[in-house]
Amino acid sequence: MGNEFLENRFHVNRRHFLGKLSMGLGSVALGSLLIPDLFKNDENDAAAFSGLSHFAPKAKRIIYLFQNGAPSQLESFDYKPLLNQMAGQDLPESIRNGQRLTGMTSNQAKFPLVGSHFSFKQYGQSGTWVSELFPNMAKIVDEMCVIKSMHTDAINHDPALTFMQTGAQQGNRPSMGAWLSYGLGSENKNLPAFCVLLSRGRGNGQGVYSKLWTNGFLDSIHQGVQFSSSEERILYLQDPKGRDREASRKMLDHLSELNNLNYEEFGDPEIQTRIKQYEMAYRMQTAVPELSDLTKEPDRIIKMYGADCLVPGTYASNCLMARKLSEAGVRFVQLYHQGWDQHGNLVGEMPLQAQDVDRATAGLVMDLKQRGLLDETLVIWGGEFGRTNYCQGDLSKDNYGRDHHPRCYSIWMAGGGVKPGLVYGESDEFGYNIVKDPVHVNDFHATVLHLMGLNHEKLTFKHLGRRYRLTDVAGKVVHGVLA
Amino acid sequence: MSRIKNILVSLIFCIQVLLTFFLFVGDKVKLPVWLQVMGRLHPLILHLPIGLSLFFLILLLLPQRIDLERETLSRITFIVLLFTSFTASLTALFGFLLSLQGDYGSTLLMRHKISSTILSWLCYLVLINYENLRNRKVFFYGTISLMMLAILFSGHTGATLTHGENFVFGPIVKESNQLLTVENSSVYQLGVQPILEKKCYSCHNDSKAKGKLVMTTIKQFVKGGKHGKEWVEGKPEESNLIKVIHLPLTHDKHMPPDGKAQLSGAEVHFLETWIRSGADFEKKMAELKPTDSFRIMTSQLLVKPEQVIEKKYSFNPAPDKVINNLNSPFCSLFPLYENSPALRADFFVQQAFNLKTLEMLKEVEDQLVELNLAHMPITDEELSIIGKFKNLEKLNLNFTKISSGLKELKPLTQLTSLSLSGTKVNAQSLSDILPLPQLTELFVWNTPITNNEQLAINQQYPNLSIVWNLFRDDQPIVLSKPSLVNEGVFKKNERVILKHVMPGATIRYTMDNTSPDSVHGKLYESPIKIESTVYLKACAYKEGWLQSDIYQVMCFVDGYKAKEIELLTKPDPQYVGEGAKSLMDSRKGLADQFKEASWLGFKENEFEAGFYFGQEAPAVKNIVISYGRNTGSYIFPPAQVELWAGNEKQKISLIKTINVAQPKSNESAKVDALIIPLVEANYAYYKIIAKPIKKLPAWHSGKGQKGWFFVDEVFFN
Repeated sequence: MGNEFLENRFHVNRRHFLGKLSMGLGSVALGSLLIPDLFKNDENDAAAFSGLSHFAPKAKRIIYLFQNGAPSQLESFDYKPLLNQMAGQDLPESIRNGQRLTGMTSNQAKFPLVGSHFSFKQYGQSGTWVSELFPNMAKIVDEMCVIKSMHTDAINHDPALTFMQTGAQQGNRPSMGAWLSYGLGSENKNLPAFCVLLSRGRGNGQGVYSKLWTNGFLDSIHQGVQFSSSEERILYLQDPKGRDREASRKMLDHLSELNNLNYEEFGDPEIQTRIKQYEMAYRMQTAVPELSDLTKEPDRIIKMYGADCLVPGTYASNCLMARKLSEAGVRFVQLYHQGWDQHGNLVGEMPLQAQDVDRATAGLVMDLKQRGLLDETLVIWGGEFGRTNYCQGDLSKDNYGRDHHPRCYSIWMAGGGVKPGLVYGESDEFGYNIVKDPVHVNDFHATVLHLMGLNHEKLTFKHLGRRYRLTDVAGKVVHGVLA
Repeated sequence: MSRIKNILVSLIFCIQVLLTFFLFVGDKVKLPVWLQVMGRLHPLILHLPIGLSLFFLILLLLPQRIDLERETLSRITFIVLLFTSFTASLTALFGFLLSLQGDYGSTLLMRHKISSTILSWLCYLVLINYENLRNRKVFFYGTISLMMLAILFSGHTGATLTHGENFVFGPIVKESNQLLTVENSSVYQLGVQPILEKKCYSCHNDSKAKGKLVMTTIKQFVKGGKHGKEWVEGKPEESNLIKVIHLPLTHDKHMPPDGKAQLSGAEVHFLETWIRSGADFEKKMAELKPTDSFRIMTSQLLVKPEQVIEKKYSFNPAPDKVINNLNSPFCSLFPLYENSPALRADFFVQQAFNLKTLEMLKEVEDQLVELNLAHMPITDEELSIIGKFKNLEKLNLNFTKISSGLKELKPLTQLTSLSLSGTKVNAQSLSDILPLPQLTELFVWNTPITNNEQLAINQQYPNLSIVWNLFRDDQPIVLSKPSLVNEGVFKKNERVILKHVMPGATIRYTMDNTSPDSVHGKLYESPIKIESTVYLKACAYKEGWLQSDIYQVMCFVDGYKAKEIELLTKPDPQYVGEGAKSLMDSRKGLADQFKEASWLGFKENEFEAGFYFGQEAPAVKNIVISYGRNTGSYIFPPAQVELWAGNEKQKISLIKTINVAQPKSNESAKVDALIIPLVEANYAYYKIIAKPIKKLPAWHSGKGQKGWFFVDEVFFN
């Protein structure tokens, strides 16, 4: 009897079911009223950004001195006397431990270890080891935080460089500078938030491509603006002869009217970007001449950066330019100095490369410091991976070369909230593996964003159905390097 | 009644669905103010379901003998159940609204939420199946018991949330609720006890006492366990407490045992230091100097590294509208970070500076804490405006036009960092603001302030970090090289213009292949006149700098154009340029771009070209062959060059044979010239034969192989 009652209960008719269902759905709908952006399209993600740091930032601007081609850590900051003692002996398999090799050395029968041709000394109160190739950088070690335990996933230049710059090895993601421009916007509305300066040394070089400063899937206003190496730092910025500013203004006004008409019809956000870029270029016409005029720099400054800083297109002049741009509120200044790829003739080429960058780099850090800007500017120096502790090709008595090495390399940062005079992380005696405090490229990115007051897990952009970050799905802030 | 019942049951169902929904997406909900009020009613109404459910239980358990009809009793019971369920759901909903308004321990809160949701669902399920369930006694009472358990659990978690842990037995459990501070606490309380509490207490307390050791009170801790006292004062290495920590993890006696939370290096170090210093329970932290490593270690143990310390401000944020109005392309004003009331203002572009913009910042004078006016045309007069921004902490006046008016900044009592680099500020003026209480950083590089004045300030204000001049390395360094302004092929009578980027640098040059220096070589004063192709060497020098490296360049002068040019041999198919035309188009190739159309490359064939000038041939003083050198790419000078000439194509004779010197080692890429001097020759036709090197020299990595010959121009001057 009871069973029949029970069964009757289960005979829910359609109307009853739908009635209940609608009530249930109604409740969910009611609840969702309390979640303001539950059903909103994520196009508004970008608009919701306040352009402000998530929390109090340590650094407001970044100057990234990228040493393109990967300078050897073993001839710069990672002092490994054991390699000198064991010179010529084969790299023990227990150390290499299955590490993949590039196509350049994978056929090598032997991996003869080779120590630094250049001597090392300790400098500053921190006692940081620096090679004789960098006498000026050695003077500022107490401002620097050297990370000796960087490691990356890639083993060839292009993917490693792209990884270092965009957080992914494939070149379709926004560059660090673009992310910061997106997250924080431009301080100075008369200049792009992300500027790129290129120079070339005398060593074996690797190319740089515009994909390294791309906006990726972000709005194209966040793309890095490449400065020219010629005397006119930004090409075609000046009005052509015979046209005054007034006329330019009128032309731009009418042009933007036309563009707006186009926008109303097609709704392509890139049209709006284009209008903004024209406006920015117009304002840059007043802002840039002030910046690119180096004649007002005192003699002392020229000496700090080295005489080359007045020769357009050199690393030194780019450093000086970087200081001026940064001082003028440019969020991210990216330098690339090519020529650090010493597969062979390291003894011949590395001193030339070091000569190019040593004085100007140290000069830049000092110059920022004496203006009271170092504490709000983060300076980063380093390449895309390290170099092997063994010689590529034949090891001769007075020369050698080093292949690519992703397992450990050294970079340094200064200013902007990093602990000065610190050496973070450690590699083994062979300079091959990390034994303490590894810092992955993703961790590095998370830390840089953290210094800028951004939570790397919150700075996202939705693209192709999912949210992307600079650190994508990894990365931990390295608290050990924070001041 | 049936109607009310239906409405209530439906309502309960609605609330239940809503609750379940909130349970999953609760953290994304943003609450309007009026709902917050409802949430705060939670503590009031929560007593209803508790009471009603107990009443429901009583009715269920009432002895059958009671003087009520069974039917009536059953109906009353149902009504009570109905209201129990309704109030339970409502309470849970209100509770949820309340949970959004405060910081509650998240795990506890989650437990409370889940148990309450389960409870309200149970009530609802019993309610709608009441009739059926009543007939299945076991099932029915089982469910009711579950319901009661859920009430107990959610009631308990809720009470803990409100009143804190162990509220009921609080009065009979002794506990010091004194706040631990550096001033009133001992090293033991601040440093040692928290470590023991985290890592040891769980097994060494009154109720567990493993190894007969109780660590929770000082008395028992000192007494020790079955081995007696756990440490030897001053000797951590002999203390059992430390020894067991250092045993291998797999060892039986290792503490804490494998699988439990281990001590960190810092914690072990701290315990060791404590024992070494005598394992004192009384020593107050305040007795230690702030620089004492022990004290520093304690504060490090206490501070969580993840904490971002953000400064709290007492002033209110400025309205967005005000901030937006004050923003312009040349002045950006923005909060230091999201939700911060403090503002920073930056001024940009010197020539667009507008004093009014600065004056208008008065609207946010309370909120402005950072101001950057570097390079703006600010004078002493404007400093009085800045003096009004009373909460200013960071001020950048680098390279402004101020000099002696710093006293106007005296009201800035919050100022911590002041940048005055590149201004005319002197020590006297500076003395006005040095006493500012918060000032810790001062930047006076490139000002009239002298080294001695700087040192004096340093002595008087030892806590002030003063950056005066960081770059004291006055050793001269090498000047950069001079450079050529008008590159390319020079037209006849065109002058060579040299320049140097450094104002005041002097250039000396030579054209005879010797090296110029500060005495040797001609002083460059005006553009240089050149007659024919020359090898120009120049260097720069300046007082206080070392002489530059030597700049070397081959200056080619354009020559007579032949009427006809013919290539008699074929260049390598990869480097055909534009054929014979390339040889006389006055376009030079670049030294490292041998794929350009200016270049013709030969390896298998010799280079052989004819130049026909006709019967009215000009007098030629020399012939210049411009060729490439790039040892790395196997590109060498020709081994031998032959010049043939005559007045008719068919009647020519060999005039000159030149053997060219070959490089002795690797050299960098460059364009070189082979100059063949002639004595006023006026032949109608010339033929040039250049033979690429047959075997690369022994020092070269491609020794024995054939070399390349690259030519881009031939000039007849």
